[in-house]
Amino acid sequence: MSMKTFNLPDLGEGLQDAEIVSWHVSVGDHVVTDQPLVSVETDKAVVEVPSPHSGRIFKLCGDAGDRIEVGAPLVEFEEKAAADTGTVVGEIKNDADAIGHSATVAARESFKVKATPAVRALAHKLGVDLSLVQPTGSKGLVTKQDVERAASTLDQAGPLEKLRGVRRAMAERMAMAHAEVVPATVTDEADVGSWPGKTNATIRLAGAIAAACRAVPALNAWYDGHEKGRRLHSSVDLGIAVNTADGLFVPVLRDVGNRDPASLSEGLDRLKADVAVRSIPAKELRGQTISLSNFGMLGGRYASLVVVPPQVAIVGAGRVEPRVVAAAGKAVVRNILPLSLTFDHRAVTGAEAASFMAALIQDLAKKT
Amino acid sequence: MAEITLVEAINMALARAMEEDDTVLMLGEDVGVDGGVFRATDGLLSRFGRRRVLDTPLAEVAIAGVSVGVAAQGFRPVAEIQFMGFIYPTIDQLVNHAARLRNRTRGRLTCPMVLRAPFGGGIHAPEHHSESTEAMFAHIPGLRVVIPSSPALAYGLLLASIRDPDPVVFLEPKRIYRAVKEKVEDSGDALPLDTCFVRREGSDITFVTWGAMIQETLAAADELAAGGVSAEVIDLATLKPLDMPTILDSVEKTGRCVIVHEAALTAGFGAEIAARLAEHGLLSLQAPVVRVAGYDIVMPLPKMEHHYMPSSERVVAAARKVLEFS
Amino acid sequence: MTEDVDIEIKHTCFLDSQGKVIEPLPAFAEDPKTLIGLYRTMVLTRTFDAKAIALQRTGRLGTYSSSLGQEAVTVGGGGAMLSEDVLAGTYREQGAQFMRGVTTVELFTYWGGDERGSNFAGPVNDFPISIPIGSHAPHAAGAALAFKLRDEQRAVLCVFGDGATSKGDVYEAMNLAGVWKLPLVFLVNNNQWAISLPRAAQTASRTLAHKAFACGFGGEQVDGNDVIAVRHAVAEALANARGGGGPRLIEALTYRLTDHTTADDASRYRDDETVGEFWKQEPLARLRNYLSESSGWTRENEEALIADCAAEIEKAAEEYLALAPASPETMFDYLYASLPKDLAAQRDEVLKKAAGDG
Repeated sequence: MSMKTFNLPDLGEGLQDAEIVSWHVSVGDHVVTDQPLVSVETDKAVVEVPSPHSGRIFKLCGDAGDRIEVGAPLVEFEEKAAADTGTVVGEIKNDADAIGHSATVAARESFKVKATPAVRALAHKLGVDLSLVQPTGSKGLVTKQDVERAASTLDQAGPLEKLRGVRRAMAERMAMAHAEVVPATVTDEADVGSWPGKTNATIRLAGAIAAACRAVPALNAWYDGHEKGRRLHSSVDLGIAVNTADGLFVPVLRDVGNRDPASLSEGLDRLKADVAVRSIPAKELRGQTISLSNFGMLGGRYASLVVVPPQVAIVGAGRVEPRVVAAAGKAVVRNILPLSLTFDHRAVTGAEAASFMAALIQDLAKKT
Repeated sequence: MAEITLVEAINMALARAMEEDDTVLMLGEDVGVDGGVFRATDGLLSRFGRRRVLDTPLAEVAIAGVSVGVAAQGFRPVAEIQFMGFIYPTIDQLVNHAARLRNRTRGRLTCPMVLRAPFGGGIHAPEHHSESTEAMFAHIPGLRVVIPSSPALAYGLLLASIRDPDPVVFLEPKRIYRAVKEKVEDSGDALPLDTCFVRREGSDITFVTWGAMIQETLAAADELAAGGVSAEVIDLATLKPLDMPTILDSVEKTGRCVIVHEAALTAGFGAEIAARLAEHGLLSLQAPVVRVAGYDIVMPLPKMEHHYMPSSERVVAAARKVLEFS
Repeated sequence: MTEDVDIEIKHTCFLDSQGKVIEPLPAFAEDPKTLIGLYRTMVLTRTFDAKAIALQRTGRLGTYSSSLGQEAVTVGGGGAMLSEDVLAGTYREQGAQFMRGVTTVELFTYWGGDERGSNFAGPVNDFPISIPIGSHAPHAAGAALAFKLRDEQRAVLCVFGDGATSKGDVYEAMNLAGVWKLPLVFLVNNNQWAISLPRAAQTASRTLAHKAFACGFGGEQVDGNDVIAVRHAVAEALANARGGGGPRLIEALTYRLTDHTTADDASRYRDDETVGEFWKQEPLARLRNYLSESSGWTRENEEALIADCAAEIEKAAEEYLALAPASPETMFDYLYASLPKDLAAQRDEVLKKAAGDG
């Protein structure tokens, strides 16, 4: 950008300087030859000083009231032309970042239930779950009559008991787990015949799980489905399924890998007691790295359990029962502990699950 | 009290307005000596003189623009545009000036003008004489758009429009200028603007319409009644500002709505009503909102006009579809 | 055989570009006070324009159209009106608006993008600035019709540019004014440019004054840089109109010495040398010279006037900048005489949002 300076010309009559009375142009103005730039006061008159050429005003070298000497800078012009505004009113912005659009055709979702808004409103009012209603309208449309029929059927079944508290939380948690997790289950059994008489199965299982986690750390992890990443945990915080009249609780027995059976036993008792009187703090119900459901205490052998994210595995222990098994080619009766391992196949391979199971069985088979 | 036609009711209202208020002026082409090509202004020149009834040169922009200017000075001009087909040059004056004058001067200047024009098809007229583009005007903030559908409504709504302090586009359904007769008393009583009129009460389905289509709609309602269906017929009367509560109350009762207009379907005024029903009346709806409208084509010349104009059969068919939706 | 009809168009000028008297001055021009009043408003207008541009450049005013070089047309035209007359102009008639009593604060407010600027406290019947070219000409005809219908001795001055004379609205208004003999004077502020289209490309009509004859009334030209000529011609035409003599068209020849608007760059379509030549014709210098030579206008007078106008404009700018913004729900309050129910919900929404943001 080159600059041209216009100095105050000789105004005649032997004047050495002049006082600026008023500028007629501003910085940024485009001026043309002979256009008055400024009025200056001389001894005799107020005189307008015209521009010597055309150009854009860059700087005005004085304010109203200042005295400028003849020959001293009056105005600086820049040679550069102004940028084209590209308009005659307002401002059209030139945005450097254009918003790129990739045209995509939106996928069409199929709605599960077809019903008009009025029918939906009616269903809501009558407490009818539309997904349970058999539609009789054309192309699977749920009609008003369908809803009314469903409502009267439900009426015969008695009033709807709305789930609350723990049961409600379980319903929500299980639905969420089902939506996210890809479960797979492997079952096996452990020979616990060598256990001493009053062995607490839950404590033995806790220890065995800790051992198996050491052997196969992949099952003691949290999986983040959005980021597609996992966090392996160094300590095993074992969730223990506890059943109460109010519903299912899963308090956490912390760091089972570094505790002796006595500590585990005491901890478990305390958790159960707190759960029973509903005094367990919320933080004791969070942070499970892997879980155990010893449902065998109530009955049952094998089960496909529910892995609750972000965990990737849950161990299920069935009822210890004497069974006929083969040993060295002969039929013998041994105490058998059925085991189920449900794992999230997004984060755990079949091989890892099988190895984990093997490690579990190996530990459980020991005497202590 | 004689029975009069719609165009006679307009004439009666104009005379009454001019009688009561000497700031009311008529201006337009052929409105004076000829009494208007449809005789809407018949007799006004001889009764009120050249200072009240002005035959203008052939200049639609001037007619609308002079109305703005004279209204700003305190007159109440009632300008006539001979046919809706010739109204388009006035859109500049209506949109850029009439509809804005109060707003842009913060009330210092106002524009109490009425722009009247016969509109709509079905009279086997040459090209450009069968327009129905009322939606264009209903889109403009600051305007009122009023469409009468009967002699009584024409009388009362025109009086109201002339007395209103803001600009009104008053569209007259010329197909029924003389088709209907009704007893209308020259009482000087205006009807309310900004409100719908329930022309017939019903419980099974709501029809919303305006202008000449009221005929087809009432005929359709009659046919449905013969089959045991009770239809409510709402006449919009004022398109803008829209009285949506009346329509919502009706649809809450009936659960079903069919909108009937002669204007082309796409972006016709029925679309605005349907959108508002979807937004505010969704839970009442038992079936989709259907519009019976003109096709999205240039209004055909007389030979094929009857294919275009929505008939009562089409209205009945649409109603049946909606009633049987399940 | 073709007939070439050449109408003689009267051209009036009293002061040449140097400020020398070339025709006997009209009576009002013998009174220095009147001339100084006109000169003052021209200086004020030029100062206002410069300030408006400066404010626009610093983001404190919207797009602005300066009247640099055209001050004599608007000040002379506005100065010829009686207070009971009505002005209908475009967006480049600030000189006339100032003569009519529109305040500098009101104009800053309008150009700043605030509707309150058109709610003139002074000339309450004058039309607001009109942007769509020529569309105000029919309004002027309407106001003139009102005066005629009420038998009032009042006239309308309708001002527009050379470009507007190509517009149908203007012809319709002129034609109507002629055939109804309305008390309406059309003043063409011919600055030779319609944005980038030079006058010669606008019409084949030899002058713009010629257009009046097609409408059945007289047209004349004046030197638009001589405020005395403009004032004189417009005053005569208005008096004639008030007296029932019908309309007249006055074409004031001047030059747009600046860009069309602050967003325009005139150097794209015209050359600086030509523009420089027209600076030699400019209206303030010639009147100043005349006042110095013949009316005892001194250097001190000049400085005092410059300082006075600068102070007035500064004060007005400050007042404008300090104006509290209108509250947003007022967007709804002037659409209709009373708010329709249909708009109430939208107005509430805006009100709630404003309360939330505040």
